[in-house]
Amino acid sequence: MFDFDATLPVMALQFVLLTFLLNAVFFKPISKTIDERDGYIRDNKASAAEYLESAEKLAKQYEQELADSRKQAQQLIAQAQAEAKEVVDKQVAQAQSEAQQQREQVQRELDQQKSEAFQALESKVDVLSQQILDKLLGARAA
Amino acid sequence: MLSLLHFDVLPLAKLEVGNHFYWHLGGLQLHGQVFLTSWFVIGLLLIASVLATRNMQRVPQGLQNLMEYVFEFVRDIARNQIGEKEYRPWLPFVGTLFLFIFVSNWSGALLPWHVIEIPEGELAAPTGDINTTVALALLTSLAYFYAGFKKRGLGYFAKYIEPTPILLPIAILEDFTKPLSLSFRLFGNILADELVVAVLVLLVPLFVPLPVMMLGLFTSAIQALVFATLAAAYIHEALEGHGDEGHEEHA
Repeated sequence: MFDFDATLPVMALQFVLLTFLLNAVFFKPISKTIDERDGYIRDNKASAAEYLESAEKLAKQYEQELADSRKQAQQLIAQAQAEAKEVVDKQVAQAQSEAQQQREQVQRELDQQKSEAFQALESKVDVLSQQILDKLLGARAA
Repeated sequence: MLSLLHFDVLPLAKLEVGNHFYWHLGGLQLHGQVFLTSWFVIGLLLIASVLATRNMQRVPQGLQNLMEYVFEFVRDIARNQIGEKEYRPWLPFVGTLFLFIFVSNWSGALLPWHVIEIPEGELAAPTGDINTTVALALLTSLAYFYAGFKKRGLGYFAKYIEPTPILLPIAILEDFTKPLSLSFRLFGNILADELVVAVLVLLVPLFVPLPVMMLGLFTSAIQALVFATLAAAYIHEALEGHGDEGHEEHA
């Protein structure tokens, strides 16, 4: 059972050989693959984080732009409304002033005709009063 | 050659310990059955590794997935013991220790090696032979001495006298007990498990040995883990040097 012989050194040599062979065909390639995979995962994670960050930045930028253009639109609407109101006001005022003018003119014409009529009447008053007087006095004198 | 047991009662259950299938190589004696099974184990490991790493994908599938799991398991053993900074160059050694011992143990526990007839002795787990376990333990000793000298040069010897020179004999003794305990723990567990199963099969061939076989699988896995973990711990101790705890506890 305890018989040592040349088996021992030959087995030791064989084992050392196996260590080198396994290092070449097992340990090195597998650790290389695992390291490469770790690197790949790390890179992917980093670039994914970068993408996420830029996507968030873009989203924020778009939101900002959206808010800006919404504000602009509101301003535009307010401006348009103000302009429209101005136009309406102006036209209303113009129409009112025209109406006023026409009314004044009509008034003036009326006044003139009235005074003409009065004048005409006044000149006839003398004649008529003379005639009335004549009639009254003539009858008495007669 | 020491033949402890030799039963040949039934044709299906036979038990022999200490019989080896000797190969002679220029005046040297080799235990052929140990090499046959160890080549099988080595071949299995190499083929599985080559198949798994032949076409590596970023998203692992099938065998690559399994081997990556195995890799991470042994890497965790080495990293937990040696530490994040230093474990990298020692990973192949510790990992190969674990894989070789684990596959050897489980091949002995799961594969019916004994069915294959060889001229003498019988096929079994390579780790059930004292030569294999002593070889692995001595390599571990060499590895931690190498680690210590490479890291700290001759200052490595300072650890023998560091808290107090009184402990010098114990510190020196430690360098002998480490490989001794490593090799005998593994050898004893695997051989004892094989013997218990064999004896039970001899007595009751059906069902009764099954729980012991399951226990054998469990201890086999644990022994591989223990060997690799202790080897990594010794290397760590040599790298760290002394000054912290963990000096006496491994004795």
